[in-house]
Amino acid sequence: MDDNSTTSGERKLSCSDVSKCFQLLESILDGENMPNSKEMLNEKLAKCEPCFKHFHLEQAIRDVLKTKCTKQTVPSELEASIREIIQDKK
Amino acid sequence: MSEVQRKKYSEQEKSKIFDQEFMPNIDSMYNFAYRLTFDEDDAKDLVQDTYLKAFRFINSFEQGTNAKAWLFRILKNSFINDYRKKSKQPAKIDYQEVETYYNSDDVDYTSTTDLRVDAVKDMLGDEISNALNSLAVDFRTVIILCDLEGFTYEEMAKILDIPIGTVRSRLHRARNLLKDKLRSYASTMGYGTDEEE
Repeated sequence: MDDNSTTSGERKLSCSDVSKCFQLLESILDGENMPNSKEMLNEKLAKCEPCFKHFHLEQAIRDVLKTKCTKQTVPSELEASIREIIQDKK
Repeated sequence: MSEVQRKKYSEQEKSKIFDQEFMPNIDSMYNFAYRLTFDEDDAKDLVQDTYLKAFRFINSFEQGTNAKAWLFRILKNSFINDYRKKSKQPAKIDYQEVETYYNSDDVDYTSTTDLRVDAVKDMLGDEISNALNSLAVDFRTVIILCDLEGFTYEEMAKILDIPIGTVRSRLHRARNLLKDKLRSYASTMGYGTDEEE
C-alpha cells in the first residue's frame, strides 16, 4: 500500500458496516479478485479509520507469516526413498 | 482425487508428470506435513504415503491443473484417514467439534483486537511459528494453505472439501485466534497496546 500514513486525518472514526468492509479487505489481501476492488480499497483506506487499521494489521500478520515462519529442511534421503519404492512396485 | 479417469498415461508420461509436476513440491509438502504432525518421522511417512498414492492414482490427475493443490488434497486426506486413526489422541474429537461447531458461515467481523502493527512486525520467527502451531489443526491448516502456500479460496475449498464461504469464515476465525496469541506475546515483550495509548 502506498498510503502508509498513520494519521487519522479526515477518516471517519467508526465504520458503518464493519462486517462487510472487513470481509472485503480480507478477501483483497488474500488475493481474491473482485470487480472494482482496488477502487473500493483505496476509498475505504482513505476515508475510514477502522478499515485502515484493520487492513494494515491484517497485512502485517500475513507478511510475518510469509516471511518469518520457521521452515523445515526436507530430509535428504526422502526423495530417493520414494523413488525407490515406486521403482520396486513397477 | 477425481473419480473419473480421464485417460491413461504411458509410463514415460507418468515419469514426466511425477518428475516435473509432483516432485518439485516436496519442500512444501514436507513443511505442510511437519506442521500437521510436529514430528519428523511422521512427516516423512505422510509425504512418502502421499507420493505413493499420487503415483498410484496418477491417471486421475489432469495435466494442466494445479498439481500442488492435488497433492495437498491427498496429503490432507491421508493425514485425516491414516495418521489420525493411528494416533489414539482426542484429536479426532477436536476435529469433529470444529467441524460442527465452527463451520457456521456466520462470522462476527466486529471483534477487534488492540494488537499493534509495530508489535507484529517486530515478532521473532519462533514466536510467529509457535503462535501458529498452537492453533487447532483445522485453523492452523487454513492459515498454512492461504498465507504460507498461497492457495486461492477456491483451491482451498477443493483441498479441504468445504464450501468457499466456510473457507472464508474459518480463515477469519483462525486469524482472530492467531491475533490473540500474538497479542499475548506482544504484551510479554513489553509492547504497549492501543488501549494504553
